[in-house]
Amino acid sequence: MRTPTDPSPPGLSRDLRLDFFRGVALICIFIDHIPENYLNYFTLSAIGFSDAAEVFIFISGFTASLVYGRAMAARGVLFATVQVMRRAWQLYVAHIFLFVIFIAEVSYTVRTFNNPMYNEEMGVGDFLEHPHIAVIQALILQFQPTFLDILPLYIVLLLIFPLVLVAVRRDRWLALVPSFLIYLAVQIFGIDVPAYPTGSLWTFNPLAWQFLFVLGAVLGQTDARQRGPAALLRLAYVPAIVIAIAALTIRLSWLFHGFHENFPALFLRALWPVNKSNLAPIRLISFFALFVLVAHWIAPRATFLRSAWTRPVVLCGSHSLEIFCLSILLSVLGHFLMSEIASGFSMQLAVNVVGIAAMCLTAAMLDWYREVQRTPLTPAMPAGSQRGDGEG
Amino acid sequence: MGGRRYSASPVMVALAGTLAVMITTAHSFAAEPDECATPPELVETETQLPHLAARLNAHQPATIVAIGGASTIGQAAGSPDLSFPHQLEQILAQIYPKGSIAVVNKGVPRQSARQNLERFATDVFAEDPVMVIWETGINDAVRGTDVDEFAETLQTGVDELKNRAIDTVMVDMQFSKSATALINFEAYLKALHRVGDLAEVYVLPRYAMMRYWSEQKVFNFDEVAPADRAKLAARVYDCIAYKLAQVIRRAVP
Repeated sequence: MRTPTDPSPPGLSRDLRLDFFRGVALICIFIDHIPENYLNYFTLSAIGFSDAAEVFIFISGFTASLVYGRAMAARGVLFATVQVMRRAWQLYVAHIFLFVIFIAEVSYTVRTFNNPMYNEEMGVGDFLEHPHIAVIQALILQFQPTFLDILPLYIVLLLIFPLVLVAVRRDRWLALVPSFLIYLAVQIFGIDVPAYPTGSLWTFNPLAWQFLFVLGAVLGQTDARQRGPAALLRLAYVPAIVIAIAALTIRLSWLFHGFHENFPALFLRALWPVNKSNLAPIRLISFFALFVLVAHWIAPRATFLRSAWTRPVVLCGSHSLEIFCLSILLSVLGHFLMSEIASGFSMQLAVNVVGIAAMCLTAAMLDWYREVQRTPLTPAMPAGSQRGDGEG
Repeated sequence: MGGRRYSASPVMVALAGTLAVMITTAHSFAAEPDECATPPELVETETQLPHLAARLNAHQPATIVAIGGASTIGQAAGSPDLSFPHQLEQILAQIYPKGSIAVVNKGVPRQSARQNLERFATDVFAEDPVMVIWETGINDAVRGTDVDEFAETLQTGVDELKNRAIDTVMVDMQFSKSATALINFEAYLKALHRVGDLAEVYVLPRYAMMRYWSEQKVFNFDEVAPADRAKLAARVYDCIAYKLAQVIRRAVP
């Protein structure tokens, strides 16, 4: 991992693993958001108990810690706080944008909806019954229909982030201990956060998921080359391999059992359902096993991360907010096409290929624009003056 | 939205009722109407219903409780007399002329699986059933209940029924092309079927059946003239009743 005090310029030493795996997570989120998509079998959720959500939240905590930690060290707490709040505002605007897409989709479908078998049931989609309340509830992040659930979590996590960062920079235990205790309380007492409509809950319980974000933030401020963390990483290697193989085997057995009943589904009764809302410990453990393996096997600037093949994925990861919003839009469109026109294999292939290509091309365009913008027109202009908060 | 707009007039209900009775009587000995045909793999089951079988073999009266939502109470057809539980009771009376099987309808529209479960004590156990048909999942998918929570609720319910020596059959969601465009049913379907798989409870794949009828253009669920809505619903409920009767017949020959 990069140290926050690393003297080399950020552009050169950027840990490409962060961008690459966040890119992978974004592509998985796109695929997973399309129901009955065969590619679902090949996303992150297929290889363990965790999925793209863990990767996304963890890396977001990690990079936020790098970027705003640097700002806090250079320009003080107040500056970094304002910078984080600005980022939270961007996410909030993105959330509202996605909500507008949701309204468009629901309104269109419902206007053309003409199914007697369903009229009664469709009424419980509360947006349709009380749009005036649902809009306000969406504005205060309480109404979280499908795919409008991860940004509210991210926004809330950023709102508490300055506090977390101050604590982490003073002493990492100051952040870790309270965070873990809250997580533990959620696991033991099943504390959850109510949402709208009454009776529903936050899809991603922020009291549970904050722990993963804080862990990301702490590791973002940790130099893996120091003796302590390096030893810990070595120590975790063998258990991580065992856990990752066990998780993979169990997940595969569930998958095969779904295709063929006689194939035994290992530990299905004991382990399923795995609580995603509250970030069940098994998800956390499964995720960290993968994290340890990645940290071991892949160098921050490994050759394959700089190859032309992985470049599109890396680019997606380094423009995560824009690409995330685009991926949601694309999966809604893809789902719509598949259910309205055809859901055959060729349609699936087209939706997946076009969607992923659109994400990569957009990321490439954004990256090109950022590079051009950064390049000074005249030597007199200070380099890097155009840089935003650069969290991507 | 809301169902009120489409509630059928009394005349319509009476007409549809007469029609349904005619259909039922025309197909004596529980042969399903041709339009209900589905690929064999959709109802291929080796389900055991030991408690119902024991009761029927002992020539004792049996009660089946159907608990669920709007499509259990028969909302879209306009009358509980046209609902699948009521139709099922009539078909079972033909299959088991010596038996006395009552199918009690405990459908309440707009309820989640959790709300169904909360009614078990008053609506299910109070009836002392030997078998329960649990129709659920639509409202959870429409509301976007957490899928893991949905699965846990189903598991709790199914386990409780098993502990009380009650046979269980579950019925999954209804299919609609336009609803599918808006709602992700897949995760809920998977969870429901996995619960059934784990508890060795048969899940009637109503979703797959209705999808088959829709794709084969047997029924068109998405473009229905207002006057035909109730009739269409009654025909589909009728088919579901025949499918359930087949499952019971195989388990209790």
